[in-house]
Amino acid sequence: MRYILIALMFFLSLILPGTLFHFWAWSGIKPDLLILLTIYMAMHHRRLSSVLWGLGAGLLEDFYLGRYIGMYTLTLLIVAFLSNWLTERWYRDNFLLTTFMVFIVTVAGQTCVAFLGLGAGLQWSLGDVVQLIFGVALYNAVLVPITYPLIHRSFLHGWLRYRPRYDR
Amino acid sequence: MVGKRVNVTGIAVLVFFLLLGVLISIRLTGLGSRFPNPVGGAMQRVLSVVEKPMLQLGNGIRDNTKALWNFRNVELENQQLQKKVAQLTGDNLKLKQQVLAGLRYNELDQGIFRSPTLDKYTKVGASIINRNPTTWYRTLTVNRGSQDGVQVNDPVIGDLGLVGKVVTVSPTTSEVLMILDGEGEVSAVVRGSTGSGTFGIVQGTYKRGSRLTPEGNLEMLFRRADNVNVGNLVLTSGQGGVYPQDVPIGKVKQIELDPSGLLKTAYIQPLVDFDSLEEVYIVKVVGAK
Repeated sequence: MRYILIALMFFLSLILPGTLFHFWAWSGIKPDLLILLTIYMAMHHRRLSSVLWGLGAGLLEDFYLGRYIGMYTLTLLIVAFLSNWLTERWYRDNFLLTTFMVFIVTVAGQTCVAFLGLGAGLQWSLGDVVQLIFGVALYNAVLVPITYPLIHRSFLHGWLRYRPRYDR
Repeated sequence: MVGKRVNVTGIAVLVFFLLLGVLISIRLTGLGSRFPNPVGGAMQRVLSVVEKPMLQLGNGIRDNTKALWNFRNVELENQQLQKKVAQLTGDNLKLKQQVLAGLRYNELDQGIFRSPTLDKYTKVGASIINRNPTTWYRTLTVNRGSQDGVQVNDPVIGDLGLVGKVVTVSPTTSEVLMILDGEGEVSAVVRGSTGSGTFGIVQGTYKRGSRLTPEGNLEMLFRRADNVNVGNLVLTSGQGGVYPQDVPIGKVKQIELDPSGLLKTAYIQPLVDFDSLEEVYIVKVVGAK
């Protein structure tokens, strides 16, 4: 059940920004739900698992988009690693800290996408890049109070509960 | 317990090759590349089944909450539409007025009294666009002027009878002094039941110095012996050089004897309803002479 739910969440994270959130975009800025989900996954898994989930999510997005393969793979890998590293230092039950963490990790992830895009030869103006990075990060942060309590509870006590191998 | 030794160089080399690999991959699979993507294709096929209803759902939500999200735009649009509606209502009203004016002209043309004297003159149809805003004169402003050939002293007639004469002409408008005004005297003739005529001057009772009454009326002075009775028709006599002959003015409504006993005053009920007058004819008598 846990894996079905996670797969469903990943697919929804791929679909929703292009469909539902397309209509709730602020000046063309939509949330990056896959980054948000990767952060949540990383917060509730051990480091290796987190990185592997990030890698898988990134590959999924790259294949789904069908171009620039590797861009999101690397980005979500970094996002997962960074989220896990921060979670080890910050208290993950504090929703305010989580919101702030989502904001800075999303900024890092979007910055990574921007840099990789520049490396791939994409032409972006600095103003647009900054607006996009902080816009997406803000949108993701806004979604935390709505989504995180549910997901966090589910990871601790519900269907998404994660039990490391040594624990089973 | 032996702690793990971190090989920094190894990690740096790994990161370098990872980055290099990713950049090469991004380059090779960029826009325009013919990179085979069977995984992505399969995902697109599967997810497109869900995406379509989601997009429809999004469309539905957007359409139903449009007013909330774009409240300012909706408000502006509403203001613009209200202005447009007001403008179109005005235009519509104007058109209706024009249609009604056309109908009234038709009625005026069909219902106008037939006078052999008038037939020889050219008539110009005119609409009343204003009435004198002051209380000093009983005048009308019509939408015909010198550009239409109107001249000062041209008689003005309504569907049932005489209205007055033109006193001022501008290129596009003219001012008409109604016969109700004390200054608009008309040489008239009263025709009794036998057809005999009694000549006199019809004068408006709306005069300078006694203009406190809101409505004017017409009166005519006769000698006591003159054969004038209530109900007699009053027509223009054609004398005086302004009005043509036999244009109806009104009917004798009341006759009062003068205190001196020599004269009597006939009060005349005009045939034309001056208050509801909207269209008139200006008769080009001056130009015809």
